Amino acid sequence: MRESQAYIERIKRVNRQYQRLELAVHQSLTSVLAGQALLARRIEKDFESERWDPYLRKLWFPVDLHAGNLLTIELSAHEQFSPGELLSIIGPIGQPFRFRQKLRNILLIANQTTPAPLLMMLPSLLKRQVSVTMVLMGEARAYDTSHLPGEVEIIHAEDDLSWNDMVMTLGWADQVFAACDPGDELRHFADILRLMRERRNDVPLNYAFGVFQRTLPCGVGACHACVLNLRGAQKLQCVDGLAFDLTTLRMN
Amino acid sequence: MAIEITRSRKYSLVVSTPVMPAAGAFGFADSYRAMIDYEKLGALVTNPVTIDAWNPAAGTRTVPLDAGLLLHTGLPNPGLRKVIRRYRKTWSNLPIPVILHLAGTSVQHVSQAVNLLDEVDEVAAVELGLSDDLTEGEALALVCAASKLEKPLLVRLPFYECYQLALPAAEAGADALVLTAAPRGTARDAHSGRLVSGRIYGPLIKPMILRLVGRLRREVAAEVPIIGCGGIHSPQDARDYIDAGAIAVQVDTATWAQPKMLERISRDLGGWIATRRKDALLDEWNPDMGHTEALQRRAPAPRANDLGK
Repeated sequence: MRESQAYIERIKRVNRQYQRLELAVHQSLTSVLAGQALLARRIEKDFESERWDPYLRKLWFPVDLHAGNLLTIELSAHEQFSPGELLSIIGPIGQPFRFRQKLRNILLIANQTTPAPLLMMLPSLLKRQVSVTMVLMGEARAYDTSHLPGEVEIIHAEDDLSWNDMVMTLGWADQVFAACDPGDELRHFADILRLMRERRNDVPLNYAFGVFQRTLPCGVGACHACVLNLRGAQKLQCVDGLAFDLTTLRMN
Repeated sequence: MAIEITRSRKYSLVVSTPVMPAAGAFGFADSYRAMIDYEKLGALVTNPVTIDAWNPAAGTRTVPLDAGLLLHTGLPNPGLRKVIRRYRKTWSNLPIPVILHLAGTSVQHVSQAVNLLDEVDEVAAVELGLSDDLTEGEALALVCAASKLEKPLLVRLPFYECYQLALPAAEAGADALVLTAAPRGTARDAHSGRLVSGRIYGPLIKPMILRLVGRLRREVAAEVPIIGCGGIHSPQDARDYIDAGAIAVQVDTATWAQPKMLERISRDLGGWIATRRKDALLDEWNPDMGHTEALQRRAPAPRANDLGK
């Protein structure tokens, strides 16, 4: 992990709600993998005129990596950016997702949040011919999926978080990765885990993972604002995460 | 350059530059090793440690504010014994002294911690953190218990009770006063809609703490050094604290926003203090400058008439 500078090379509007920024990044960030993130902050060209508002860095999940040190980020179209803007980036943050070796079917869940943390894995999984299903819950149902690869099956959940053939989908999936609204993540993850436990015989270890998106003040494990209680240990979201096995999390 | 940042006694703490991270901003050991050159710092102040393990706070812990943040972590730590076991080797390999921040909880716990820490050579000094809700009597009892330590003792005072506690803490055995812990505040979390209480960080708190440093420097005995801490976000901020009477500074959350800023402040302040001591102008200073050279450089330039003769 290191601090480096990047600049916005191109901005592409992918649909009504989202834009994609292509960032020209330092070589060290080209090793970023699905599950890892960046902490980004706009900076001035002149270091002395540093402004402190906004103060904290934003947690950005890359969605694609291109040749020539270009990293793609998907953000809300409401945020204003312009090409050539300078960014200070700390990263890569966290550990890559750990997939089962014999992964054939994967279920992705976005609950009340954009599925951006889950998108970077898509190209490599589809290349390995893994079947991908994405369930959008709550406000995430409004997410426009037209720019996602056609091979990804999209399901819109009902208000009670259920969907058709839920038992079959959960039984069929070899692994589940979920992202939730960072405001009340633990409660949302607890809801998802409860749904699984109600519809599966058991939820084994390394089956269901939650991707945490809480604000990370430092991103390097210094501030301990992102400590999570797991069974038998305290883990740092920014160092040991960002994904944790939901069955090992203490939800209270 | 050697700067003694604690009272001159049998045990005192000497640092090479008067800049260090504040407790809670830098982790327990080497979290920032990949980004910051530790040799440029004066010391490392660890995150707060308690004798027993503490769990993180429930609910929202970080609320972004305009040019700052509110933080409520609950001081999660694995307990003093585990911290020593885990980080002792790393501390011994650091090029700077380690100051362990001990959260003052009870006299009994502080006494236990003192007994443990006396055996740990890798810890050069201890900073005792006094919480906001202590009475004067309770605070002094904690300082007295901690002063039995055979290492320098720094005492970090709470923001609101700073005036009441500074003089008694210095008399009770503090070798240096750290002014101050970040003030407490309450803000609404936009995600959950709830009010969250915690400590406030950001550039805005600097003027408030700077005033405390200036005023207490006049009131506290001169032999008790004061270390300024709070809202430092630029080299000029750090210089302001030195001008107000602090002997050293601690940089808190600026490191999170701009990790290189700590190193930059450290380089700037080290040079600036050396320059002032040698009575040289800023552009005349170099790290190896002797007093004679400094005086020669400050001699008035010859006048045109003199040159003509």
